[in-house]
Amino acid sequence: MPETITDLRITANSMDTPAAGVEQLSMQQALNRALDEILAENPKTVIFGEDCGRLGGVFRITDGLQAKHGEARVFDTPLAESGILGMSVGLAMAGFHPIPEVQFDGFAYPAINQIVCQIARMNYRSRGTLPMPITLRVPSFGGIRAPEHHGESLEALFAHVPGLKVVSPSNPHDAYHLLKYAATRLDPVIFMEPKSRYWQKGPVDVTTAVPGEATHDGDTSSGGSLTGSRVAREGRHLTLVAWGAMVSRCLQVAELAAEDGIDVEVLDLRWLKPIDAEALAKSVGKTRRAVVVHEAPLTSGLGAEVAQLITQSCFATLKAPVERVTGFDVPYPSGDLEDEYIPNIDRILFGIQRVLEYRRG
Amino acid sequence: MAEISFPLPDLGEGLIEATVLDWLVEPGQQVERNQPIVELETTKSALELPSPQAGKVVRIHGAPGDTINVGEPLIVFEVPDDTAGIVGTVPKDEAPKRRVRLSAVLDED
Repeated sequence: MPETITDLRITANSMDTPAAGVEQLSMQQALNRALDEILAENPKTVIFGEDCGRLGGVFRITDGLQAKHGEARVFDTPLAESGILGMSVGLAMAGFHPIPEVQFDGFAYPAINQIVCQIARMNYRSRGTLPMPITLRVPSFGGIRAPEHHGESLEALFAHVPGLKVVSPSNPHDAYHLLKYAATRLDPVIFMEPKSRYWQKGPVDVTTAVPGEATHDGDTSSGGSLTGSRVAREGRHLTLVAWGAMVSRCLQVAELAAEDGIDVEVLDLRWLKPIDAEALAKSVGKTRRAVVVHEAPLTSGLGAEVAQLITQSCFATLKAPVERVTGFDVPYPSGDLEDEYIPNIDRILFGIQRVLEYRRG
Repeated sequence: MAEISFPLPDLGEGLIEATVLDWLVEPGQQVERNQPIVELETTKSALELPSPQAGKVVRIHGAPGDTINVGEPLIVFEVPDDTAGIVGTVPKDEAPKRRVRLSAVLDED
């Protein structure tokens, strides 16, 4: 997606925050703090959705924000996603910066018309006169044993729509900074929060987005820029590509693979549209083997896009075709069947083994 | 820790009350979601009520033989503050378990 729109510059940004050092926050706390600061920094921001106001959201992401910033800026909506997103279009046209919430990813379907036909296209349709600076927060993916429609993996649907950007943080630090960054974009951003990672704490450095010491699940790698991916663990033999909740699982797999002498790099893609093709080329150019992991079904999933980008840049040196370890081509199941559906450690290890034992000819 | 009160739900179609036959849990006990917690009798049937959630039982309302109206408190649970909200459960960070071992001859060419 060409960056034809200049960045919104708001009165203050996180760099101006007094150095508070690194704090241990859950992703829920990190997102809550980011929203609090966005509201304080940009008077055009409005936050709304089902139970976002008085209750503070079913996942407590907007907890306390209505009491602090008032009912005009943080409010509840009827149970109608088409209305939530339709209202976002109107508010954006009127100069506001809406941060709507779709309570669960599976509830986004009734709003697909507003997202695809209006939000994604309005800037294009109006020749750049009506940008849609909307950050749509979507608690995403499975892992909390919720019923049907409460756990999905919609990144490929959104990523396929020209005009949308799609991002998914994997840890509290990235969640804080990526949300603050997304809220300053003039383009609409689909912000996919891995709901199974809401409660795990991790270090958050609010003073800098790109800390060398940003660690997560024992991860000791460097941050990378906010617009690109992040090497979550460095390795020599194979690259695991993942995003959202699958990143922490891939980091576990990397530790287990190390026991067998296989040095696995984990690339946290973060941005699913646009994808950081340069980082894919750099990582797999080094390791010469790649496995992409996602929760969404296999067919036409984002893994295919990632595999093609890797093949395009690394075809000559790849040791094996890029493997995909994904959900199955079935509707994302409800909680009781989650463990059978979401890629588990053994399935990811099998994917790695298939790549390791591939021989040409 | 937070307390969550669970009121007696409508156990049929428009039933307004139920009689406690026997409690299957007691205060202080840790229960799992869907674990039977109480035997109740309505004008239609006797049934075992499954627990709506996991948690520690703080209080139970009604001794065997007592009648409870729909909507009145039935049981109170103590739950961690980190609850999953309305839907779902907080996942446990468990030590990773594996069955698959990797084997490879890595030619460093």
